[in-house]
Amino acid sequence: MTAKTFDVIVVGTGAGGGTAMKILCEAGLQVCALNSGPRTDPDKDYRGHRQVYDLKFRGYGDPLRLQGKAHQEPYSVEESEYSEGRDLFEHDVAYSNAPGTDWYWKRCKATGGKANFWGRSSARFGDIDFKAADLDGVGENWPVDYQEISPWFSKAERYMGVASTVQNRPSNPDGDYLPPFPFRCIDQIIQKGAEKIGVPYLPDRCAQLTVAHNGHPACHYCGNCSRGCDVGSFFSPTWFTIPEAEATKNLTLVTNALVRAVLVDENGQANGVAYVDRTSRREVEVHAKVVVLAASCVETAHIMLNSKSRHWPAGIANSSGELGKNLCDHLYGNPGYGYLPQLLGQPPRPDNIADSTIAWMPRWQNLKSPREEKFIRGYSVYMGGGCGGFPGYYGQLEGFGSKFKRDIKRFYPATIGGLIQAPSLPSPSNYIDIDPEKKDIFGIPQLRFHFRWGDNELLMWEHSKQVMIDLFKSMGAELWGADDEPNRPGTSLHETGVCRFGNDPKKFVTNKWAQTHDVPNLYICDASIFPSCTDKTTTMPIVAFTMRNCDYMLNNFKTGVHKRA
Amino acid sequence: MGGQSIERREILRYIGIAAVAASFPGFSRWAFACPMEHPRVTPRSQAQSYKPLFFSGEQFRMVEHLAEMIIPQDDTPGATQAGVAEFIDFMVANRVPVSTSRDIRSTEDAIAAGNEAQNRFVAGLDWMNARSQSLFKHDFMQCPPEEQNRLLEELAYKEKFKPTTESGREFFQMMRAYTVVGYYTTEIGLETLGDPGLQTAWSQIPGCAHPDDPEHKILREPSAANVSNNL
Repeated sequence: MTAKTFDVIVVGTGAGGGTAMKILCEAGLQVCALNSGPRTDPDKDYRGHRQVYDLKFRGYGDPLRLQGKAHQEPYSVEESEYSEGRDLFEHDVAYSNAPGTDWYWKRCKATGGKANFWGRSSARFGDIDFKAADLDGVGENWPVDYQEISPWFSKAERYMGVASTVQNRPSNPDGDYLPPFPFRCIDQIIQKGAEKIGVPYLPDRCAQLTVAHNGHPACHYCGNCSRGCDVGSFFSPTWFTIPEAEATKNLTLVTNALVRAVLVDENGQANGVAYVDRTSRREVEVHAKVVVLAASCVETAHIMLNSKSRHWPAGIANSSGELGKNLCDHLYGNPGYGYLPQLLGQPPRPDNIADSTIAWMPRWQNLKSPREEKFIRGYSVYMGGGCGGFPGYYGQLEGFGSKFKRDIKRFYPATIGGLIQAPSLPSPSNYIDIDPEKKDIFGIPQLRFHFRWGDNELLMWEHSKQVMIDLFKSMGAELWGADDEPNRPGTSLHETGVCRFGNDPKKFVTNKWAQTHDVPNLYICDASIFPSCTDKTTTMPIVAFTMRNCDYMLNNFKTGVHKRA
Repeated sequence: MGGQSIERREILRYIGIAAVAASFPGFSRWAFACPMEHPRVTPRSQAQSYKPLFFSGEQFRMVEHLAEMIIPQDDTPGATQAGVAEFIDFMVANRVPVSTSRDIRSTEDAIAAGNEAQNRFVAGLDWMNARSQSLFKHDFMQCPPEEQNRLLEELAYKEKFKPTTESGREFFQMMRAYTVVGYYTTEIGLETLGDPGLQTAWSQIPGCAHPDDPEHKILREPSAANVSNNL
């Protein structure tokens, strides 16, 4: 296959790469997709209907399972026993943290990537996000406005299937929605309490099929989405884009292909990529007329920084020096948890069978003017609670014996808690680079993180804890506590920046079509192009921007800007 | 006190917010399935001849007895019937850190936490016997239920704490954590809660059944008469 030249190489098969290859294959282009790990097999890998008591270590996993691996940090309790025997998560390639940085980089290397297991919250960005720099003077605007991108949000929503309601809030533009999830008891109570303190509590935008959609069945509410859906009732590359791309017969999907660098021709333009075949450990080259990087935000920049040549001594398409800069992330943490006395002892109700964010508090701060609060911009809060699974709150209840056992049951329907989603601001001290000392086991120079939470996001964190105190009071609820500190950076999986898009080639890595300024046949289809982080999640926008940018690329093929192989 | 970091994860887990995190691993309830079949815990009636992997026979009987004191059989099955002692023995033997204050970033950390749990269990059981000897002149298992109860209450209830029993209290908290995890990760335990997740297909989310009372002010606690209100 090394002899063949493809029209396009797509690196990565997640939310962005999967969407890109589907669109390009359906347009008749010959596409080679490279995926760094094995193929995801829903029958073997999701196993969502297994119960915790079917697992040998009850979900904790064998503590020795990562022995000998280059990166031994477990990504979570879930990953442990889920991936045992199936090598889906990245533990072979290590990364570095600069002193003072504690980035938690969780990587799924199997096809579909993290979008096999994503959280499905799918709010649209609005002009309050795209033009944030105009409002408060910090960072950069996006090179698009809402009017321009709105049709692409619609297209992404109609393709993915997103459940929600029309809410008429300009900061959270409405979209094309499937019927919403109903509110549960906890949602009714939280909504009333939130109303009293002037905070909105509304149905989330959730990419989960409340009705059958485009040939995908309606959700059967097993409650195991975060282990992967066994029937494809929410958008994932494994059930949506990858099979559709394969059906065209225009796709060559190569697995276990860890991309090291983009290759260039004598003019410094992209003409392929070099990857390490994990099985043979040999380096392989594959060639194409256009290269799309969608390796998940920071990995895309890692590949580009490692793509050094006489033309691009600081990494490909990095004449601006901006590659790897302005890393942003969502600050996550639980700002308040406790229980609703109203629900103590109620019969168990299926509160979490959608495993989903039924409702949330979309950003309500700084909407009238950009500096009403001590911080600029704003955050959102998801609320969860009610019956389901293990009674993790037992530590709050004293004692032992029958009374303790009854208390555990009594609190089962009543516990609630929050999750703040606060955007970090772009900062010159938050970036990635190549570790000058360390190489991974395949000989590839390692990625290094430099990141700390800034004052603005920490002010949001403090603010959210006060909001929870007020909210619990207004609901008549009891507050047990809050996280001592936010989660580690990287926890949210919502990293953005590092290859920002914008019109000025001196300041941005790509143009407004995600085409690198320096190398017009190199495109980026992931969240690395987003110049700022918002209070909303990234997956649906990744799909929408990928649809839009691939449309532009196809037009370039039509008009001869890009030649076919 | 053991279990701070785990505790936090469990809090996130129980609020069901997992997926929120968009996350895959991040926050969800913990059970990702694994591809191999594993035998369920053998029901107690068939396991009379259970040979502990880690504990001595005497230690195992004490663990089993303590677990049953923490989650006794009443109108629903207790820890013994759910095989909690076998679970604890298995997890401690395999050095699975069920309740740890350590930050686990490597296999070495996991092993260290697992070793620590082994040591804490052995030392904790010894502590219980020593305490029992000093209070009642008998090993714990030789004491009548009232005395065993009194000893445990001193470790479990803040208002009954005695000075110089910190290590005993820490052991009790760990023993309780392993027991709760061991019980509520069995079918028996989850059934006592009525975990909706035991049913893996629903036609829809029923939603709130009290539309006339959004604040749920007039809900009656069904079993209120039987349940004490003081926490």
